[in-house]
Amino acid sequence: CDRNLDIVNPNQVTTQVFWRTADDALVGVNSIYSTTHRGGISRWMPFYYIIRSDIGWSQSPDPGILNNMDRFLISDYNYGNAYSVWNDNFIGINRANQVIANVPTIQMDETLKQRYIGEAKFLRAMFYFHLVTLYGNVPLILTPSTVGDRPSSATIQQVWAQIEQDLTEAIPALPATYGGADLGRATKGAAYALLARAYFQQRKYNESLTPLQWLVEGDGRSIYALVPNYRDNFLITTENNRESVFEWQFAENPAEYTDDDTETPNHNYGTSIAQFFGPQSIGWSDGECRRWVVREFYEPTTTGARDPRVAASFLFDSTDVRGPAFTQIYGRTFLERYGANNQRVWFRKFQNDHWKNEEGYRSPNNWRYIRYADVLLMYAEALNATGRTAQAYPFVDRVRQRAGLAPLSTVRPGLSQEQFLNQLKHERVTELAGEGWRWNDLARWGDLGPQLAVRDPGFANFQQGQDELLPIPQTDRDLNPNLVQNPNY
Amino acid sequence: QLLSRAEPSLTQQTTSASRAVRTRPLKKALSDLERRFGVSFAYDDQLVASRQTSVVPEGASLEEALLQLLRPQGLRYTKIKEKLFVIQPAETPAAEAPRDAKNDMAGTIPSAGVLTESALAAVAPQVKRISGQITDETGQGLPGANVIEKGTNNGTNTDANGNFVLNVSDQATTLTISSVGYVSQDVAIGNQTTINVQLVPDNRTLEEVVVIGYQAVRKRDVTGANAVINPTEANRVTAQSLPESIQGLSPGVTVRNTGVPGQQASIQIRGVASFLNTEPLYVIDGMIADANPTINTDDIESIQILKDASAAAIYGSRAANGVVIITTKQGKEGPARVSFTGKYGIQQAYKRWDVMNASEFAALQRTQYQNSGQTPPVSVAEGTFNPAIDTDWQDQVLRTGSLQDYNLTLSGGTKTGRYLLSGSYFNNTGYVIGSNFNRASLRINTRNEFGRFTFGENVVLTNSNVQNQPIGTNPIYDMAYNLPVIPVQDPSYISPTNPEGYGIGSINSISYAYNPVAARNLSSNRSNFARLVGNAFLEFKFADWLSYRFNAGLDASFDYTQNLRRVGVYQYNAAPVPSSINEDRSRFTSLLFEHTLNFNRTFGLHNINGVVGISQQNTRRDVTTGGRTNLAFAGGQYLPTIGAASGIATSAGGTPEYYRILGYLGRINYTYNDRYLLTLTGRVDQDSRFGPNYRTGFFPSIAGAWRISEEKFFNVDWISDLKLSASYGKLGIVVPTLGSFPYTAFINNNPRAIFGDGQTANVGAYQAQLANPNLRWEERIQQNYGLTASFLNNRITAEFNVYNSLSSDAILNLTVPGYLGNLRGNPYVNTASIRNRGVEFSATYRNNENAFKWDVSGNFTTIRNRVENVGNQGQDINYIVSGNTRSQVGNPVGQWFVLKTNGLFQTQEEINNYRGPDGSLIQPNAKPGDIRYEDANNDGRIDVNDRQFVTSPWPSLQTGAQFNGSYKNFNLNVQLIGIFGYTVYNDIRRILDSYQNTNFRRDISPWTPNNTDTSDPRLGLEANDQGIISNNLAYSDRWLENASYVRVRNIELGYNLPKTLTNRLNVRGARVYVSGQNLFTITKYSGLDPDVTGANIQERGVDNGHWPTPRVISLGINCDF
Repeated sequence: CDRNLDIVNPNQVTTQVFWRTADDALVGVNSIYSTTHRGGISRWMPFYYIIRSDIGWSQSPDPGILNNMDRFLISDYNYGNAYSVWNDNFIGINRANQVIANVPTIQMDETLKQRYIGEAKFLRAMFYFHLVTLYGNVPLILTPSTVGDRPSSATIQQVWAQIEQDLTEAIPALPATYGGADLGRATKGAAYALLARAYFQQRKYNESLTPLQWLVEGDGRSIYALVPNYRDNFLITTENNRESVFEWQFAENPAEYTDDDTETPNHNYGTSIAQFFGPQSIGWSDGECRRWVVREFYEPTTTGARDPRVAASFLFDSTDVRGPAFTQIYGRTFLERYGANNQRVWFRKFQNDHWKNEEGYRSPNNWRYIRYADVLLMYAEALNATGRTAQAYPFVDRVRQRAGLAPLSTVRPGLSQEQFLNQLKHERVTELAGEGWRWNDLARWGDLGPQLAVRDPGFANFQQGQDELLPIPQTDRDLNPNLVQNPNY
Repeated sequence: QLLSRAEPSLTQQTTSASRAVRTRPLKKALSDLERRFGVSFAYDDQLVASRQTSVVPEGASLEEALLQLLRPQGLRYTKIKEKLFVIQPAETPAAEAPRDAKNDMAGTIPSAGVLTESALAAVAPQVKRISGQITDETGQGLPGANVIEKGTNNGTNTDANGNFVLNVSDQATTLTISSVGYVSQDVAIGNQTTINVQLVPDNRTLEEVVVIGYQAVRKRDVTGANAVINPTEANRVTAQSLPESIQGLSPGVTVRNTGVPGQQASIQIRGVASFLNTEPLYVIDGMIADANPTINTDDIESIQILKDASAAAIYGSRAANGVVIITTKQGKEGPARVSFTGKYGIQQAYKRWDVMNASEFAALQRTQYQNSGQTPPVSVAEGTFNPAIDTDWQDQVLRTGSLQDYNLTLSGGTKTGRYLLSGSYFNNTGYVIGSNFNRASLRINTRNEFGRFTFGENVVLTNSNVQNQPIGTNPIYDMAYNLPVIPVQDPSYISPTNPEGYGIGSINSISYAYNPVAARNLSSNRSNFARLVGNAFLEFKFADWLSYRFNAGLDASFDYTQNLRRVGVYQYNAAPVPSSINEDRSRFTSLLFEHTLNFNRTFGLHNINGVVGISQQNTRRDVTTGGRTNLAFAGGQYLPTIGAASGIATSAGGTPEYYRILGYLGRINYTYNDRYLLTLTGRVDQDSRFGPNYRTGFFPSIAGAWRISEEKFFNVDWISDLKLSASYGKLGIVVPTLGSFPYTAFINNNPRAIFGDGQTANVGAYQAQLANPNLRWEERIQQNYGLTASFLNNRITAEFNVYNSLSSDAILNLTVPGYLGNLRGNPYVNTASIRNRGVEFSATYRNNENAFKWDVSGNFTTIRNRVENVGNQGQDINYIVSGNTRSQVGNPVGQWFVLKTNGLFQTQEEINNYRGPDGSLIQPNAKPGDIRYEDANNDGRIDVNDRQFVTSPWPSLQTGAQFNGSYKNFNLNVQLIGIFGYTVYNDIRRILDSYQNTNFRRDISPWTPNNTDTSDPRLGLEANDQGIISNNLAYSDRWLENASYVRVRNIELGYNLPKTLTNRLNVRGARVYVSGQNLFTITKYSGLDPDVTGANIQERGVDNGHWPTPRVISLGINCDF
């Protein structure tokens, strides 16, 4: 009789027979990208980076969103939507860890193998970037998870060091560009940009110059460019254009019924952020823009017109410069929908009003995670921070000129280092509002504090030394006493 | 000692040694023959002890050899039965020497000086000679029976023909007749000089052989807790499955019944020590196979329940929940014998809900609406109420069911070959519409001896059909609370989604109950199980003391389930569904191969016996399912096949079970002088269902016993046997619901990455769910301490056991931290711990001395169940939750955790005075007549945080009792069950007493200002009335009821047809009987049956529409031809 106890499960592929071929490596890497479809990342994380910052706020009927994501009134350390951000980023990390642990043993084309591992490291760095900037002292998990793992909290420095290491290792393995069917995978440029951003958040401006130089003055110069039309950065028809350094790729799956990308192949390949940011009666309007942001666009273009970025960035009574009667909100005028005196401002960038008159949970509009305009502004900021203010001007000018504004070198020449930084703060708000970097910008500049309450009353509750970070979820601390709570929680 | 088996000694290991001596003790010569021919001799030690012989009977047959040996000695032999010869003086002496009576009775190994001075003295005054014959149950002479003048040491034993002669004193009034295997009997002497006595076999004698797994041993030598259930008792109850038939018959075995045809009763042995699996292991004729309703209980010849580690360790990793060993009936030596048993019975639910008829309901609902200040709906309003509609839903659902059970058996055999062939048919038409179970089975057993070989097989083929309610419906709920003002069927309900116009309620008469008639007619669920269970074996006898056995077992089952849905709705507001058919087909095979060696040797006072073996079992189940919507409908009927349907097709398939178990087993029983017993048992199991590091487990046990009654110092006349025993060991249990690959990590290929210009989805795959490679069987350390005793010459036997079992690695799926990035469910981990402690007692008293013979047995069990650990559930969380229960450390599994009620508020003042520590009203929305809840956490409000532990779902005492009596040809059997000290959550009453969208109990007495002496809260609607909503909170003790009960499980009155009649009818024997099952139940429980099986392991006391055990009245006949 057969006495073999190693019976192969005929029902499902097991890890025992997986991670053997190049194809296994490929689908393993793909699973990491799939994480961005999950609700914690594509829906709730933007709330923490945008709505919690001073440019956004919430009038949601859900007090959980108001208190936790806007007003710094956190009483439940297991607040479900925060937990999903925490959990989904770690889900991505678990996926990356599996690739990083298993792909090296696969016999396959070495270049491709290194590229896959590089992609995994890039994505792992990205997820840790989110965790370190939202939660700070998180456990550093670098191998596939096992039941009963009880790691200790890592320090913020340790997490940053790992992010730097992963990106540094990813850069040589990643190609500068992908063709055709692979468009959307992590490139060398994406890794450089994320590395620069990691340095930025640590205020290591000097170190950030190397990756930024590759992007702006090195090989990256021939790959990336600003697209002439600012709005093309936010249309589904012009995704993955030359300005795109890294995008979360979304597609519409009409058959989907869940955001859990492991439950069924029929999950949401898109994002529901458009539904949650959608204007009243279109979407849930759970997060919206502060009015002061619109007023930042005070500079007219060289032809005397309004900054075209206003209309591309916001839906409000004057998205059409002629006012509410002309402003189209998903096929109807603002006036019709909300009257003449409604002062609400909604983020427009990743909405779908350019191709349909409704929103839903399946937005296929790619999230432009890193744009070249952002890289240029970062480069300028790094040069300024390292004492090369004059050299920084041209990179700001490229961004301004695409918007039709006069060059800064003409309008405000000879700024001091501090003045130039203040100018950059303005430039970044106008160029990047609603793209998810505001919170980290404020953190980097040391601007987080109750003083922001003048333009975002939610900050009146901001406790310095506490609210820079979110509380580590109590559930996980209960299960693992080695995790340390963040200060003052 | 009168009879003893000759004992081989070490010096007689070879026959060559005996050749060397000219003379040798006769006893040795006899021993040699015993060994050589595999037979036993019985003789009086005194008769043989001093005799020497020089005869070396070589090359002769046994009979010749005996003649050669015995004739010169003036002795003769008589063959009593196969392999047993009695050796006696050639001439029966005129009088036997008196004997030591005490040793006679117990039938034990002899001590030397049997003739004491006092015994000899007793011989002197003898003056009266009595002779006679002692016969067995068949009228044959019974050799070796003891005949003693009662109250003296004067006695003798019968010869090979059962005859005896005894001189007794003048004063002697009574003779005591006893024989091993028979019930002792006292006979008055009177003036008789000839006394003939027929002894009655004792079914429960200590000499009884019990099967303890791979071995049969004398029950008196058993060291573990091993319950032997008399199948005669079990079969008095008409049962679909074995567990149902043994309720109350053995302590420590908790059986809870169901009235669902084709569904197995719940059985748990000595509590529950697992959150996932409490099923015992079944062994049918050596085949490890489930004894579900496809096995015919009439085929069973013996049932042994192994309850402790010593008894069960031979089954190692699967034995921790106990083992039920079933052997089926075998043919017996003798001419072909045909027997027939037939039984026909009717069954009914013995109780119904006492709910209102339409006019009573309408009147009360009007009041309810008026109380809430609302207009009553037209269905009940004055003027529009339609008295023509008065549906008694219980009449619609319940009917008189029937039970039929027929068995025809042909059996017989010769010395070397025996056979049994039986066919049976069982049918249960349930007492609920649309429920039916039937089973036809064919059994073949043969056993043949051929020299040193014995081979045979036990095979049963069964074909079972179950028809039951559609999935998700339970008419036991619906019949209780559906409204009497809704018609069963009415043209006014006809619509495209309800083409047959079933009454499903409307906005004017809202009930969310299913129309049970509609559900039964629109949806059907039927299954067929074609099963073969059996084994074939080959035995080879190396020597008298050593034999080898190869056993091959097979359990194969072909299962088919069909779900059919026709067009139509059966519930108010239900979404219409298309017609559909779904079919599941499954093929199950389990193959068992076992090689065992049995040995049994005696050296002087030492006996050592045991078994070693290897076992391998391969199990596999393959499943294919398919279905399709939109059945073809032609000629007024649906075509019930997938092929004929035209809608959306679905299919799936897989191999949910696929595993292999290798076992290496052994047991040694050592006995010294019948006084000290030691059993060592162990099994090493390897199971493919666990990872390589956890695949092998060792399950050892040790047990010892001390028969105090054999000690010289023990001199208590009225105690005939007293044995102390203790056992300790480790057993395992596998959780089959975790599948065959619970430790392996799966690749999930659902993720999709979007890439490319076309933004297309690319497959992603990785291990989404954490696997626990360390998953292993649950293990349990069990201790048992027992006391077995018989009193008054075995008239009373009693057994007392104390047990303590501790599982320390029960499996739970633990919440894992989010940072592990786990998806698709929490992994299973061996982490929890549960302890069960208790005592078991059983006793039997027999009185067979008079024409009215009777016996009575009783047993009780206590189970103290305690959760010791639930693993890392997070800081300060030491419990797991299921429904209204918490399994919390320090409490039993599934303890009720609910709000405590405290009567009704009688006045607004009481409500106003019921305030929390901050002075706020605790129940601000309450009105007089509302339920008052305890603010357990004293925070000034009532919410889930006020739940507390209340009464237990575990009985404090479980008892069973049986009575058997016979007078002449009549016999009577009564079985009682008593379960005490537990509560049941009455979920149907929760619905009825919520007053919302339900019929009312007829005897409710809602609180009103003029009716304050009541426990029923005020009558009103939940809409806009928080007080009424609060009254109906599901998580309160309002729905918990004391469910203690005493039940007359069975009464059977039988009559053995007299010989004169049977002879005329040409039958050997016949018995007719009438029986009543579940005739009376004494309980305070208001539901249909307090014997509920519960929702799951943690919610054992939930009555979620439990189908009550029916009352069965049946007539039966047993005949032998």
